[in-house]
Amino acid sequence: MSTPATAKQHKVVSREEWVKARKELLAKEKRLTHERDALAAERRALPWVKVEKNYIFESPTGKKTLADLFDGRSQLIIYHFMFGPEWQEGCPSCSFLMDHTDGALIHLAQRDVAFAAVSHAPIDRIEPFKKRMGWKFNWVSSSDSDFNYDYHVSFTPEQKAKGKVEYNFDRMEFPSTEGPGISVFYQDKNGDIFHTYSAYARGTETAVTTYNYLDLVPKGRDEDHLPFTMAWVRHHDRYDSGYLADANRPYWPDSTDLKSPLR
Amino acid sequence: MSTTATRQHKVVSQQEWLAARKVLLEREKKLTRERDAIAAERRALPWIKVKKDYVFDTPGGKKTLADLFDGRSQLLVYHLMFAPDWDAACLGCSYVSDHFDGALQHLANRDVTLVAVSRAPLAKLLPFKQRMGWRFKWYSSFGTDFNRDFHVTFTKTEMAASKMYYNYKIQSFPMEEGQGLSAFYKDSAGNIFHTYSTYGRGVEPFINAYNLLDLAPKGRDEQNQEPIPMAWVRHHDKYENNYFEPVSSELAT
Repeated sequence: MSTPATAKQHKVVSREEWVKARKELLAKEKRLTHERDALAAERRALPWVKVEKNYIFESPTGKKTLADLFDGRSQLIIYHFMFGPEWQEGCPSCSFLMDHTDGALIHLAQRDVAFAAVSHAPIDRIEPFKKRMGWKFNWVSSSDSDFNYDYHVSFTPEQKAKGKVEYNFDRMEFPSTEGPGISVFYQDKNGDIFHTYSAYARGTETAVTTYNYLDLVPKGRDEDHLPFTMAWVRHHDRYDSGYLADANRPYWPDSTDLKSPLR
Repeated sequence: MSTTATRQHKVVSQQEWLAARKVLLEREKKLTRERDAIAAERRALPWIKVKKDYVFDTPGGKKTLADLFDGRSQLLVYHLMFAPDWDAACLGCSYVSDHFDGALQHLANRDVTLVAVSRAPLAKLLPFKQRMGWRFKWYSSFGTDFNRDFHVTFTKTEMAASKMYYNYKIQSFPMEEGQGLSAFYKDSAGNIFHTYSTYGRGVEPFINAYNLLDLAPKGRDEQNQEPIPMAWVRHHDKYENNYFEPVSSELAT
């Protein structure tokens, strides 16, 4: 952890002087809020793509279609949770993001939104891990479907062998066989399903409210000295031991490769 | 709830969508960088030394502001609206607070303690906290200047004149309590500094439900909500019957 700014390094002023500086920043913060609103409106104005494939997922209660995941609502948000078929546990950074989700779900349901996490791992690997983490959100497996490949969050050995894969609307080298992302779908009254939006990499970052808090405190995210941004993150039950899940860290870059999956 | 009819919405090929999506992506990346830049400006704000000895009521007895840091050097205080004569916390604040627990362990590992402070006595806070199933630390500032000093409690005189200082300006505010988030820093000598406070829409980034709704086709869908955008919000255990529990006469009207 970097050395905290000490009082003698940091400028300490009167309340009057502080308020003056704070008001200047407030004007910029308000502009940012309005830009965020404007961008959300542009997102809603994006055209949609009709989903033609019949994706089938494995759930704890049997097979589910993409339509089933809407759970009676017209909007579905899917988190692409990095958990490869051979991995022992889900990716710590995805777990970090998902730690912020359960509190939102009951409110989202009131706004006609269903939520599900989808991973490449089989459901019998997902279930014990979900239980260990104490999560309540719906989490299904896409192990027998093209879903993860079609939404560019799983990469085949052949794709990886070519060096670059398609991720975040670009072609890039990627440190893992799985990538994080959020995809959004709409289902109309006829049961037609449309893909409306996907975001990857830092596009999912606003859903990590810990970061939003850290952006307000004196030390900030405090990640500059780390090999990659989320290197400090552990599964929430592993902070005391500092234990890194899989010994081969399939979800994180090698120490020689400093690129974060979320960069 | 508004209806988003698909026949009104443009449906295109994958290729055409991708072109539109990439244009939006550039704007999204720009916003992310602006957010990073504003966070850096926030860290560059000067600080104010806290000179008063604030003492709070907690389940473990009286605690000072210094105690609230719980061994860490950074403290975030959510000013949760709960006036002494209310029977429940404000709905909007409860909506914000529903998102705290998942962040606590991660914040702790970045040297941050996040707590809530309300003006209602502990005897009112604790049963409500239990009802909501919240785990975050929640303290009472009853009988202290804390809420007044951080501009989240207003006097009857201010209310009668419709002149409250909230969010860095004098304005009319509908209630005697306001919500916000304040940040403090404690140095190794034990000096405490007030580094930052945000109010109003400044707390929205902590409402993950909003962060996610901003990605969905219908968005927040609040344009028809009266009298405030959050009029649809209930305490999370009261959605089933759409029960609206008045926490004060002002909120009920």
